[in-house]
Order: sequence, then structure tokens, then C-alpha cells
Amino acid sequence: MAYDGKDKVLEEVTGKSYEFGFTTEIESDKAPAGLTEDIIRLISSKKEEPDWLLKWRLEAFAVWQTMEEPDWPHLNYVKPDYQAISYYAAPKQKKQLNSLEDVDPEMRRTMEKLGISMEEQKRLSGVAVDFVMDSVSVATSFKEKLGELGIIFCSMSEAVKEHPALVRKYLGSVVPTRDNFFSALNSAVFTDGSFCYIPKGVRCPMELSTYFRINESGTGQFERTLVVADESSYVSYLEGCTAPQRDENQLHAAVVELVALDEAEIKYSTVQNWYPGDANGKGGVYNFVTKRGICHRRSKISWTQVETGSAVTWKYPSCILKGDHSVGEFYSVAVTNNAQQADTGTKMIHLGKNTHSTIISKGISAGNSHNSYRGLVQIMPSAANARNFSQCDSLLMTDTSGAHTFPYIEVKNPTAQVEHEATTSKIGEDQIFYCLQRGIDAEQAISLIVNGYAKDVLNQLPMEFAVEAQKLLSISLEGSVG
Amino acid sequence: MMDLAKPQVMDRATQSVQHAATQERGVAFVDALDGIMGSARATYDEVLASLPVPHRRVERWKYTPVASWWNEVKSAEPMTAAEAGCEPNPIPGFDAYRLVFVNGSFDAAASDLPVHPGVICMPLSQAPVESLQSIDQHQPEQAEWFAALNGKFASEGMYLRVEKNTILDRPILIHHHSTGGGSVSFLRHDLVIEANSQVQCVQWSTASDDAVGAVNVVTRASIGENTRVSLDKVQDEAGQIKHVAFEDIRQDRGSRADVHTVTIRGQWVRNDLAFRINGEGAHAELNGIFLPLDGEFVDNHTTVDHRVAHCTSSENYKGILYGKSTGVFNGKVFVRPDAQQTNAYQQNANILASDQATMNAKPELEIYADDVKCSHGCTIGQFDNEALFYARSRGVGLEAAKAMLVHAFIGEVLQGLAVPEVRLEVEHRLAEKHQWEIWSDHPDNES
Repeated sequence: MAYDGKDKVLEEVTGKSYEFGFTTEIESDKAPAGLTEDIIRLISSKKEEPDWLLKWRLEAFAVWQTMEEPDWPHLNYVKPDYQAISYYAAPKQKKQLNSLEDVDPEMRRTMEKLGISMEEQKRLSGVAVDFVMDSVSVATSFKEKLGELGIIFCSMSEAVKEHPALVRKYLGSVVPTRDNFFSALNSAVFTDGSFCYIPKGVRCPMELSTYFRINESGTGQFERTLVVADESSYVSYLEGCTAPQRDENQLHAAVVELVALDEAEIKYSTVQNWYPGDANGKGGVYNFVTKRGICHRRSKISWTQVETGSAVTWKYPSCILKGDHSVGEFYSVAVTNNAQQADTGTKMIHLGKNTHSTIISKGISAGNSHNSYRGLVQIMPSAANARNFSQCDSLLMTDTSGAHTFPYIEVKNPTAQVEHEATTSKIGEDQIFYCLQRGIDAEQAISLIVNGYAKDVLNQLPMEFAVEAQKLLSISLEGSVG
Repeated sequence: MMDLAKPQVMDRATQSVQHAATQERGVAFVDALDGIMGSARATYDEVLASLPVPHRRVERWKYTPVASWWNEVKSAEPMTAAEAGCEPNPIPGFDAYRLVFVNGSFDAAASDLPVHPGVICMPLSQAPVESLQSIDQHQPEQAEWFAALNGKFASEGMYLRVEKNTILDRPILIHHHSTGGGSVSFLRHDLVIEANSQVQCVQWSTASDDAVGAVNVVTRASIGENTRVSLDKVQDEAGQIKHVAFEDIRQDRGSRADVHTVTIRGQWVRNDLAFRINGEGAHAELNGIFLPLDGEFVDNHTTVDHRVAHCTSSENYKGILYGKSTGVFNGKVFVRPDAQQTNAYQQNANILASDQATMNAKPELEIYADDVKCSHGCTIGQFDNEALFYARSRGVGLEAAKAMLVHAFIGEVLQGLAVPEVRLEVEHRLAEKHQWEIWSDHPDNES
């Protein structure tokens, strides 16, 4: 295993200075703006990557150059200038603060409402903690335990070095480089991400979370995640966290690939709360993510997402149900407020026989925001007895927001059964009145109703996450109904 | 920075991309037609050039292959119904006013124009130019290349003006027949129905078995306050006819418009139906059935644009796909920011009756107002095995049992057809096409 004891982990966790030590070796810690083959070679060499990976990146870059940024989503944003971005920078040093008192009070209030522990608050807001010893020991003991079971859970760059065979076999196997504009870009320039491998027959005893990989938080703009669940294994993976995340990078183009081999199960939960910009839509993160999983025989992939952040979201976690009897699920709550825009949904591609998929999408639009569900259910001729059930509900909180549904249903097999239903409505005045007369104020009433509305999805989240996500929903909608 | 706070209502033209090779083919097609028939309205040249020729990357034509269009560049041969061997009245004994067109030209002898106080009805070629120009100005057809093509070339069709407080005593039947090889026919129907009136229209398209070619129809209807208009559209074209149709219906306050689209036969059919609801209290009803067989292709696109408050719309499209056929349904319900208290319902149910059939559905909602009730449902499945078993266990043969299920499935839409004679004829022709014997002695058919 890659983890050779406490010291290494300690070093990683405390590793800010280590990382910067590494970067001072080069002339500048930031590559010049723009994207050229040379920049890609630079990234690759900085990361000491093998030749095949460099070649792969260059191929992706060549493809990317021929592609155009998609304009079909129901989004309205200023397209980033891809030649104005610096594609390699040493991990940004967050401004070190001396105590929690220095943290933006608004951010702290939010964290307190979310019930995030003091230690966690410090870490998230970048306070120079003299040592979150607890976290370290927790992380270490977890890693030891995982190591015993043969589970690999490490950063992508580490995986490239330590487990090249696995990475080479699966990287790009689910999301090919030429899949779309953003995935091609990511393939060319990704800097880091997570890699996870669950061996045959192993049931991962805990929820794997980027939480525990403290040092890698903020791996940034072009993150690459690969989760491989070998035959008959199980893993539940959590990405992101409920705390608000400020980030200086405006563009995020991540790629997540899941591989569920025969009879494996992967549960992938995301809570995304990137900075959404201010009330007028200034600033905020562009979140352009490609997420896809492939299901082999009798396997199951379940995506759960709670999207509350980002100025612009473009995200379609998908399942390719290749194996017979495989199952794909997608549960989503997307909340947009103020000037946020989201175009999100899923793709369920049924190839195998007796494949089943379920889509539950709950959109909530407040302020002047726009929230679109865009989903594809495709039943190929080979997918006999495929089943799909989709439900996409939208809740409108204000008369200036928009809720849109764009489902695509393509069926090429007569034994398939596909159902789709969608509704759009607002919170009933009678519901609010009912709460008010029982002494529940309007704000709480809305929170209650919204949580009830999103319950089907929140129930799918792991316990601790679900509690936080509930609070997050209320916070995201604060002041949205007047 | 764009003003992100402002709701951006998506305009379909902004989403369009031109594809160089397709554009070229389209232009060549237009030039060829121009050489043969000459353009009817030169003003459309500019519109045509600005619009993308449909191809797969244009979202609204994603599932609609248009490549086969480019072969049809022969001029339509003007003919009378008698010469074409076509029965002017497609529904035996149907008592209606009648306009008959053959290969895009008007046959006065076979027609029976409405004579009724308050009604002006004539072939488009004889209609007052200023009235038509006013319609062009106030009600331009949909921003689609094929619609603009019609604008450029269509010289014939129906012009109907119904003055206020008029109830037309009989339905108006517009019968178009295609025959012969390689014809491209254009028809353009303009309807102006003023307040407090009531009109029933039937559009019936047929084609001879040996017909090869294309038909392009644009229908524009402006429906006045408290007016009730129904349009039953039946497509029953044999031969190899490509049929593209655009309907643009504008409704005023308190009006009701019903459009039923029935596709019995058609090798390649694309219907593009758009409602714009401009007055409060209006109701739009749009229903359709399609039962393609073999290699037939049927595409129904609908748009209901709720622009003002307190309106309702109800949509129900049903398809059964046999053989190697392909069906497309794209329904869009659009609720503008001020259209509060809108109640919109959309339903699309499909049955794949063969393992080589394909159905692509895209039921869309685009909503910019909060106090609305909008829902849609879409299903794609197969015949209910339990229902089939139930029927068979009672001695009904498999084919007959299926025919019963079909009858139940599409019956809901057929019942809604405004003109009973049309419904009976449609049932009769469907049964004939699909060889359903049970229908002929169905009690419903006696009524």
C-alpha cells in the first residue's frame, strides 16, 4: 500500500509547506496563461508522469482544439477565455488567518447553522490550526483500516505512480477524452483528483469521503476522479461538503468516472456548495462537470446530488447500463437562488437486458434563478425488458425565477417500459397558512415544506450528510420568499 | 457581463447552428425550385438565407432526417381532381364546404366554396393582396427554414375570413391530393376568424399510390375573442410523400381552439403545431394520434406559448408504432413571466408494437411564472400482457385482442375529433390499413 505509516500522512496533512517547497524549485509556480502542448508537457513533467499519460493528454488536447463549447444548455453566461487561464499553478496558498475571529462573519454564521465543529470550521476557512490532531489520527486510522482490506484510496497523481496498471486500464474508459468539450479539456490538463479501488468481494466499511483527504481539498479546477469497484464489492463515496466553499477559480471542469464490475455497487453522493456569486450574479463558480458510470452485470450505480452552489452548473451524472440486470439511479435536489443557473440532469443508457433505472429530480428555483432538468433515457435494441421511471418536479419560489424540463426519451425496444412525469408548482399559500397558524414562522414553514418536497432525495444520502444537507437547503433559500 | 438576473426566454433562432454542407444542399434545392416554379414572394429570400437548413445539430430537428428532401426538385403538375382520378370528397356523403387542391393547385370545379353571410372564402391566389400582406406582417410563420420555403414558393391555399358573430353552418373541408412523380406542392392557408364566431375546419391530405414527392403546408389562424375554432387534420397519403406542416394558431381572450392531428399514412411526416395564447381565459386543446407502419416516419412537434395569465391548455398525443417505423414527439409548454395562473397539461403515451420500431420523445416544460400548474407525463411501453391474456382467455384471438386495446388506447383522442364524420372515416381507414376486422362491427361505428 501507498501509505507507509503515520509520518507520511502527517507530512501530507501538514504539507502546505512541503507542497510549496516542491514548487519553489521551479522558476515560477504558475505557468503562463494559455493552453499549448508545451503547457501540457510542463504539467506532465511536473507531476513526473509516465509517457503514456502525456501522450493521452496530448491526444485529448488535439481533440479539444477541434471542439466547440456547447451552447445547447439552457444557460446564459459569458464563456470563459480558455487562453487566459493558467493551467498549472502550485496549489494556491489560502490566506492564513490567525483565528476564527478573522473569518468572514457571514461564512461563520452559515457554518454554525450547519453545525460544523470548531475544528472543521477552522480547517475549512483556512485558519492556521496548530494541529487538527484529531483529524489526522482519524484519517490515519481510517487509512490503515482501508489498507488492510486492500482498498486503494489516494490522490490521482499518487495512483498514477503507484498503481499505473489500474489507472491506465480504467482512465478514460467511461468518459472518453473526445466525449465533450469539457471532458477533453479536463483530460488534457487535469492536475489531480482522487482514485479509489475496491478489491473483489470487499465491502468498504466506511463512507469514503474527500473530507478525510484534507491536504487535497482544493485540488482545484480540473479534478479527475476514478472509482473502480471490482466484482461483488461495495463502496459509498462522498464528494464535496456542505460548507460554503470560496474559490478563486471561476471555471471548474471536473471529470468523474465510476466503474462497477459484475455485481458491484457504487453509491456516489455529492453535495456541491461552491460560491454562487453575489445577489446580482457577479462572480461565482462555473461548474462544468462530466460524471459517468458504467455498470457491468448485476451491478448498481447510484448518484445522489444536492446542488446548491455555483453560479452556473452544467452537470449530468450518467449511467451506462451495459451489463444485464444492472441498475442505475439518480437522485437530485438542485436549488438555485438569486442569479444562479443550473442545467442538470442525467443520462440512463440501457444496453443490457433487464436493466432498471430510476430518476428522481427535484428542482427549486428562487430569486431570479433558472433551474433546468435535462435528462436522457435511451433504451437500445439489445435492452430487453428495460424499465425506467423518471420523476422531475420543480418548485418555483418567486415569479422571476424559471423552472424548465427537457427530457429526452429514446426507445428502440418494444419490451421496454419507460415512464416520465413532471410537475411544476409553487408552495401553496394554504400550506404556509397552516404552519403560521400553528406558530411556525414563514421561514421555518418554507424550510419544512421544501425538506418534505426533497425528502425522496435526501433520504438517499448517508446519515450525517443528510442532516447537513437539510440545513443547507434552508440556508440556501433564506430570504427567498418575502 | 450579461444581465443574468433577467429571465432569458430562449428563442429557438438563437439556438440554431448552420451546417455548411446541409446549408449548401438547401440552397441548391431552393435554386432548383426557383428555376422551375419561380418564387411567389421574393421577400422570403432573406429569411431563408438567415435560417439554418435543418440538420441533426439543430435541436428541433435532432430526430428528423431531412436528407431525402433534396431529391425532389420537379415541378408539380397542375391537374384537376378528375384528371388525377381523385374523389373530391374523401369522406363519402360528408356534407361540408369544400376546397380541393391537386398537386398544389386549386380545382374550382371540384370545390364547393362556402356561401354564407359574413364569410369570405376563396383560393389564396384570388385573395386581396393587402389582406395577405397584413397577415404576413402580423403573423409571420414560425422561424423555420421549411416554413420560410413555403413563404417563398406557396402561391395557392385557402383564404378564409369570418366576420364577428358568425356561426358557419357546415364544416370547411380542405382536401389536398398529390399524384404523379416528383412533385413538390406548397399550400398556404390563412384564416382570420373574428370575435364570437364558430368555425370547424377539416384538412385532409391524400395521395395516389404511385405519388412521389413532397407537400409543404403552412396554416395560420388568428382566432378572435370568444371564438371557437376546431381543426381536424388527417394525413392519409399513400405513395412516397414527404409531408411537412406548420400551424400557427393565435388566440385572443376567451377563445377556444382545438387541433387534432391524425396521421393514418405517410412515408415521412413532420407536423409542427404552435399555439400562441395572447388573451386571458383562452383554452387550447391539441391532441393527436399516429400509427405508423413499416418504414414510416412520423414526427409531431408542438409548442404552446402561454403569454398571458389565466389560460389553460391540454395536450394528449398517442402513438402506436408498428414494423420498422419511427415516431417522434416533442411537446413544449412555455409559460412566460406574466402568465400567472396558467394550467397546462401535456400527455404523450406510446406503444412500441414491434421490436424494430423506435420512439423518441421529448416532452418539455419551460416555465417563468410561479403561480402555475403545469405537468406532463410521457410513457413508452408495450401492449399490456395481462389485458391481452384476459381477452384471449375469453376466446378473443390475439390480433383481435390487440385491435381492441388499440381502440381503447386511441379512442380517447378520436372521440375528441370535432366532426363525427371525420372520426368514423378515420376509424374506417385505420382499420383498413392495419386490417383490424373487429372494428367494422364495433358498436361505436354504428353511431
